[in-house]
Parts: sequence; C-alpha cells; structure tokens
Amino acid sequence: MLTKASYTLADGTPLSDLVRVPTREVQMRALSDPEIYQLEMDRVFGKTWLLLGHESEVPNSGDFVVRDMGSDSVIVARAKDGNIHVSLNVCPHRGMRISTVDAGNTQIHKCIYHGWAFKPSGEFIGAPVEKECMHGKMMPKEELGLPQARVTLYGGIIFATWDLEGPSFEEFLGDAKWYFDTLFERSDKGLEVLGPPQRLIVRANWKAAGEQSAADGYHTLTLHRWLGEVGNYSKSGDGGSADLSPEMYGVEVSSPHGHALRCIDLGRKIKKLSGLDPAELTVDQKLEALPPPGMTREMLPQLRKHLSEEQLEVMVSMPPQVGGIFPNVLFAFVYIPQADGSVLGLTLLHAYVPKGPDQLEFVNWVLAEKDAPQELKDRMLMQSIQLFGTSGMVEQDDSDTWPHMPLAAKGARGRRSTLKYQAVYETGAPAGWPGPGIVNEGFTKDDTQWHWWLYWNELMNAKA
Amino acid sequence: MSAAQQVAENAPVIGNPIPVGAEVYNRIVGFLYQEATLLDTIRLKEWGATLAPDLVYTVPLRQTRPMSQQAQSVIRTVQHYHDNYRSIMGRIMRLTETRSAWAEDPPSRTRRMVSNVQVFATDRPDEFAVVSYLLLTRSRFDFPDMDVISGERNDLLRVDGEGFKLGRREVILDQAVLGTPNLAIFL
Repeated sequence: MLTKASYTLADGTPLSDLVRVPTREVQMRALSDPEIYQLEMDRVFGKTWLLLGHESEVPNSGDFVVRDMGSDSVIVARAKDGNIHVSLNVCPHRGMRISTVDAGNTQIHKCIYHGWAFKPSGEFIGAPVEKECMHGKMMPKEELGLPQARVTLYGGIIFATWDLEGPSFEEFLGDAKWYFDTLFERSDKGLEVLGPPQRLIVRANWKAAGEQSAADGYHTLTLHRWLGEVGNYSKSGDGGSADLSPEMYGVEVSSPHGHALRCIDLGRKIKKLSGLDPAELTVDQKLEALPPPGMTREMLPQLRKHLSEEQLEVMVSMPPQVGGIFPNVLFAFVYIPQADGSVLGLTLLHAYVPKGPDQLEFVNWVLAEKDAPQELKDRMLMQSIQLFGTSGMVEQDDSDTWPHMPLAAKGARGRRSTLKYQAVYETGAPAGWPGPGIVNEGFTKDDTQWHWWLYWNELMNAKA
Repeated sequence: MSAAQQVAENAPVIGNPIPVGAEVYNRIVGFLYQEATLLDTIRLKEWGATLAPDLVYTVPLRQTRPMSQQAQSVIRTVQHYHDNYRSIMGRIMRLTETRSAWAEDPPSRTRRMVSNVQVFATDRPDEFAVVSYLLLTRSRFDFPDMDVISGERNDLLRVDGEGFKLGRREVILDQAVLGTPNLAIFL
C-alpha cells in the first residue's frame, strides 16, 4: 500500500517523488544515492524472494555454497533430512563470517574465531570446552542458532526471503507463474546447473541491470547491433540482416510484482526449419520442428505431463525467451541460430547482487535439462560462455554500459535527469491469447520495465 | 566427456624443462612478447594469425576453498572462456568488423606483463609446454579505477616455420570474483 511521503530523503525530497507515475519517469539519483540504497536493502531485498542457486549445486547432505541475499552473506546448505537451509553467515557470538569459502561439504560449520559450531540447518551445536559453557547461561542453545531465511524450491531453483510472514513464492510470482512454469517446470527431472556460476564485479547500481532484465527490448537494437552485423542473426545466420527489428515483435507480459517476460515470435524460425507455414502446423509439429531450449525431441512427451495445452500453444508460438524475476534476476531461454541452419537453445539465469550503491556482482548460472544428452549439454555450455556472462559477446556490452550510469547519476544536474518509460502499449493481448497477466502484443515497448519500477516504488514506500 | 577433458587426453606428455637462455627458450619468450604487443596495440587479426586451427582456449573459474581442497579451486565445468579456433576468430571478427562491439569501443588501454616464463619439452619434438605469469592492466574511459587481471598461462606452442603457433592456452586466474566488468579482451 502506498503511503505518500512515507519517508523523506536527507535533502528534503520525498521518497515517493522518485518515481513520477503520470509521466512514467524515474529520477536518476535512484541509480547512485547511498541513502536510497540503504533503504532498498530492507524494503526490497528484505521483503522479496531472492535467487540463490539451484539444488543441483548441493546434491548431498552437508553440501553447501555461500551466496548473498542483498548485502548479507548466507550459507545455503543441505541438511541430513535432505532439506535446504539458508542461514545468515554471521556468527551470533562475535560477528565473524562463519564460512569463508565459496563451497564445500561439512556437517559442522565451525567459526574459526572462537569455535562456535552450527549444523547445516543453522542449529547451534556448541562452543569449545562444553562444560565451561562459553555461550553463558543467559540464552538457551535453541536461541543461538543462525538466523534462518524462508526457503522455497521452484523447479529446483533455490529462492529465499527474510520476510517470514510475507507472501508465498507462488503468490509473489502471481500470474507470471503460468509462463515461468513453461521454463522451469516442464520436464520430468527438471534442470540442473552445468557448474558453479561465473561471478564478476560491475561498478554499477544493481537496478541498472535489474530494470533492463525486466524485458528491455529496445536496447537489443542498438547495444547488441553486432548480432545482426556479423553475429548469429546476420545474413549467414537467420536469413536476417543488420536490422534486428524483426526480433522485436511478439508479446510482452508484465506483472504487478515487477516480473517480466518477452515472448518472442518463433514463426520465422519454425518456417525456416520446417519449410512450412507455422499457421498450418499443429502444436506437436511445431515442437518437433523446434523443441524448447535445452530439450531434445525424445523429451517432448514429457511436456504434456507438466503443462496445459494452452501453455504448449504459447511455447510453440511466442515462448518467453528473456525477462526477469523481481528484483534482480534475469532469465534467458533463447533459441540461437547456428551457422549450419540449425538452432541451439540455451538456458541461463543471472542474479545481480547489490554490492553498494555503485557496485553489483553479476552471477551467471548455466543450466541444462538433467535428461539431456551430454553432447547437447557440452554444446550449450560452450555457446552460453561465448555469448553470455563474463566473456559473452552479447553481455560484455551490457556490463560495459551500466558503469556509466551511476557516474551520470552523481552529477548535480544529472541526478535530477530522469529515466523515461514513455513508449506505451496500445494493443493489449492478441486475440485468443491463453495466458494470464498484463499482456500486450506487437513491437517491444516500455511497459514491462515500467511495471518493474512501480513495484519497486510500492515496496520502497510501503508502511514498515 | 567434456571438451576440456578431451583436450587433456590429446595433450602431449610434458618432459624436461628447457634452461633459461637456451635458444628455443629465447625464441619462445620473444613470441610471448610479440604476442603481448599485438594484443596491447589491438592488432587482433595479426594475433589471430598466430593461432593454430586446433586451438583450445579456456579460462577456468576459481573458487575459494580450504587448503585441503586446492584442487577444487580451479573449476573447468563452467568457465569464463571456453573457446576454439573458430569461436576466437568469431570474437575477433566482432571486434574488428562491426561498428558496435561496444565493450571494446572505445578500446581499453591494456598492458600485458608476461614473466616467470618456464618452457618444457614434450614428447612431440615440435611442441613446447610454456608456463608464464600474466599481469594485465586495463583502463577504460576516464574511470579512475585500473582493472587488474592476474593469472598463470599454461600454453602449448607448436613450431611453425621460424615462429610458433598457439595450440592451447589455459589461463588460471587469481580472482574468484573478477574485478573487471567483462572479458572482452584476450588474456
């Protein structure tokens, strides 16, 4: 619920003035202001479900990885009962980080400072020299465990939140779940990671990456223009040209919770692969011509066990290919044209972890269907690395762009400049579109990103 | 079997070290210096001409692990680079033949300091295993921060006429979280 002027920034600006709803503008200072950043850590990262990894990273009892929830380090560990626990990585004794490594396996997480020890579930085991009771007698052992985040697994993806009483993950996804299920809940065995994530620091505010992930279509035309010049969408690739605009048509779905999906028209690819007019083809013929990213034709029968006929229709005509889960997740389930005329699907997830007002950590997981043959996983892995993440020819341009924005947002004039989201859909959903949510068709627009900012605004101005 | 494992199986057996100052040692150091010059002066097509068609070019991830698990600190599943000759030439084409390779346009100012060179004979008379340290500084725009990338190169150099071709390069970086916004540059 919005409460006007719920908070006033140090210079007297009401927090609720940062997002100007009537003209769809956002004040640039939001991309660098330390005061706004501090508020976000509680109001956004303390309230939403955050991506921490995939359960295939911690398959066995005792396996753990160390990740971040906003500005807090957490231990993501599988306990003896098989459940995954997310514990604050701060010793309740004297504040030392308990785990100082990235990953491993242990049944006892022991702080190296004074030796307090914890189970993978976060429960306090004890301190050295038990009979001398280092932890004192004022608090029972039960109260000295590591603070626990609330955890959920969705398609094996680990999400957690500090908001113990807030909306369930399902409520958080809302209508967008119908679409996300076509990516993450479509097969018998589900996805797995192909290895630990790439990690790198970008000197930019997390929102530069977060709002772009909310399905910024336009930037592709200019920032990623090379794809049409010599890349996978050039004449040798997709029968296209330097003009990437045909890829900008489709359906965009947004959500009151800031989630966004760009559902890009597959018609031209299916026509090229099958030699037939997609309008004349059944759902099964289209799936056969171009299986979803990461799936083989042999796996196609699995789809009907998990998804509805309406979901399959979307998957074969306008599948979600890129987009975001609020606040800081990007998904890419993309169909990459290959030099030999075939198509290779890639499945990736990114988290843009806030590391201060002017810094983010880019975390990139490369995924594949567990059931997929090794040969396909190997090809997906190589091409994912070549196009996305650290050295990826697509995303290296993104990570080079964002660092300019916090600098611009520090200028006395620049900070009062605005980000504009004024390209507004006037179309609505295509006739007969079977999916829920805020749906618009046609050439990409700004609506999905605007809805991302509206939810940010709602959280930032919510009553504590 | 992953591509990286296949490479390991095709790799030659590494033999004796070649002394510092030996004729072939000096020629290899010269090759590495010349290569650094080509990359630092952005003569990427000339650099491409020094690559062997069976090139495998990889940059593993690093993880912070306890002393007892150092073998697991180098990750060769997901990596930062996982390339072959064809894909590296594709990267060069993007950087040199488009007007929109923004990650390196305007280009970074770089210095590749190559040192601690060790050369080993292999069971193939025309191939040498070369270990060297790389300290790469990268400056972009008017940003005050200088990105520093440090690591160890493990190369396989193959005699090619008077010079060499790069057949294999694996760069073991020192950072678990890279401090540069991308690897749009070659290591």
